[in-house]
Amino acid sequence: MTTSDPWRLVGEVESLGLVSSSMYELVVGLEDVVSFRPGQFCMLNLGGGREMVLSRPFSILAVDGNRVTLLFKAVGSGTRAMATCKPGAPVVFLGPLGQPFPSPDTATAGQTAPRHLLLAGGVGLPPLLAWQRAWGREGDLYLFGGRDGGDVPWSLVSEGWRCSVDRHVDVPRNVDAFVGNVVELAREILGSVDDEPRRVLACGPLALLRAVTAFAGERGWDCRVSVEERMGCGYGVCRGCVVPRADGEGYLTACHDGPVLAADAIDWKCFGRAEGGSPPVSAIGCNRPEQDTKS
Amino acid sequence: MMRRPDWLPFDPGGEFRLGPRVLPGRVWTASGCFGYGLTGRDIKASDGGSPFDGLGAVVTKTITTSPRQGNPPPRIWDAGSGALNSIGLENVGLDRFVDEIIPALRQDRVPFVASIAGTRPGEFGDMTRRLVAAAADCEHWHGVELNLSCPNVAHGGVDFGRRPETVRDCVEAAVAEVTDRIVLAKLTPNVASIAELATAAADGGAHGVTAINTLLGMDIDLATGQPVLPLRRGGYSGPAILPVALAKVDEIVRESGLPVVGVGGIGSAEDALKFFAVGAVAVQVGTSQMNDPFSAAGIAGVFNGS
Repeated sequence: MTTSDPWRLVGEVESLGLVSSSMYELVVGLEDVVSFRPGQFCMLNLGGGREMVLSRPFSILAVDGNRVTLLFKAVGSGTRAMATCKPGAPVVFLGPLGQPFPSPDTATAGQTAPRHLLLAGGVGLPPLLAWQRAWGREGDLYLFGGRDGGDVPWSLVSEGWRCSVDRHVDVPRNVDAFVGNVVELAREILGSVDDEPRRVLACGPLALLRAVTAFAGERGWDCRVSVEERMGCGYGVCRGCVVPRADGEGYLTACHDGPVLAADAIDWKCFGRAEGGSPPVSAIGCNRPEQDTKS
Repeated sequence: MMRRPDWLPFDPGGEFRLGPRVLPGRVWTASGCFGYGLTGRDIKASDGGSPFDGLGAVVTKTITTSPRQGNPPPRIWDAGSGALNSIGLENVGLDRFVDEIIPALRQDRVPFVASIAGTRPGEFGDMTRRLVAAAADCEHWHGVELNLSCPNVAHGGVDFGRRPETVRDCVEAAVAEVTDRIVLAKLTPNVASIAELATAAADGGAHGVTAINTLLGMDIDLATGQPVLPLRRGGYSGPAILPVALAKVDEIVRESGLPVVGVGGIGSAEDALKFFAVGAVAVQVGTSQMNDPFSAAGIAGVFNGS
């Protein structure tokens, strides 16, 4: 099993622990080995696979043979259930799924590979940390943003990452954390004008992705974002996890066309509401056709 | 392989006849839960199986005459015991279905039933005629399932599918276009008497009905006090609705005598047997198929002994 074909495998929880005040690291051992590319995700369910009505999507942080490592926060019923798992608890895994982040060698023919700027927020860290581990090079810049020091998984971002916090609370004494958001940190480091173009890779909350897209757009830089959407199936059959296309021609799916999408392929004006957020005025106001409650 | 219960009057594995067709199995995938029957073939399992193994039919995502973009996200929500959805009938439209999807299904030898939706009875006839013209020689195309029961539709839908005379007219229009293909009417449970709708479908000449479509449902995000779905309400499906679906199928079988393809919360062979017990001739796997691409194939495997 050396390719990135998706597999449906059973397994069990090997370990579960906190890597920040609210972020869990989950390691599952599967019945067979899998491989993945940074940016790909998996669907995970507990018990015999029916404990949650719908499996939950998680970006893959690492794979070591048949052991898969994920990060998550307990924000809903499914992830809260996961946070109480004990070693040995059965799981059902479907993955790897979706489109990965581009590797550095996917530069335009004849051009040197660009330097990269990676921006992660919260549980948007795994695909970008995986990318750094696989392909990171001298000159790339890795930035992580958290709410405060307790929100930052310091042990995971110790090598080469710089961090921003909204509030300078619970930040370790020996750490230099920027106060502000992660895009402000990028501006602080890069100044008003960078000397050469970068490719920007980002994953995190919608507000972060919006800000990153605007930042990259100002500089004319290629920008790829990994989008978070509620998913039904994860493998492209239910059309539940849609993202409005920039060309107005309907929707992309986060699970099949994404989760990594070119930022300029997304209609940011119409792109959804925050998780559990306010009424979707922006979405309704986009005048996209056929907005009725047909299922 | 599961031992066939003494009370079951047929072998749940293998092929069976429904109207003018012999289908390869009694376990199907439900419309909207397995795409057009072209996705998922690359997914592997450690036993070497495929999500398509043993399926009696894939009921395709519902097709409308013109393409539809569907509803804004979020479109799907795990409500604990079931799932809420508000997809909005996003689909490629009849032209692309005929030009691209049917040839691909034919090439992949996928047994399929085309789910179609219209906004007036004549449209069901027009769409069926196009399908017959495109796929009459495709042995894997078994017929049409008329989606008469999507909740809260602006131009048809529940009010449309809740009226027995409209159900009859839609079925009649489709039946008039076919000779050796099945016409199934998929019925809404959001009525006082689903048996009346089934009787109307029988009056129109349906070979059977599919029951049930989703229940109208809603959930609230307590952090905001707002509905979780942008359009407030959606279709509720999954394990929670199985007892409701069983009761509706039981009602239809007892009062109309029409063959019923049972659907609603099925995720295991045991669940499917409950539908067979109340008289369903076949079953569809919906929400569970989204959760696990091998769900329907796994149930079929239990019945087929594979």
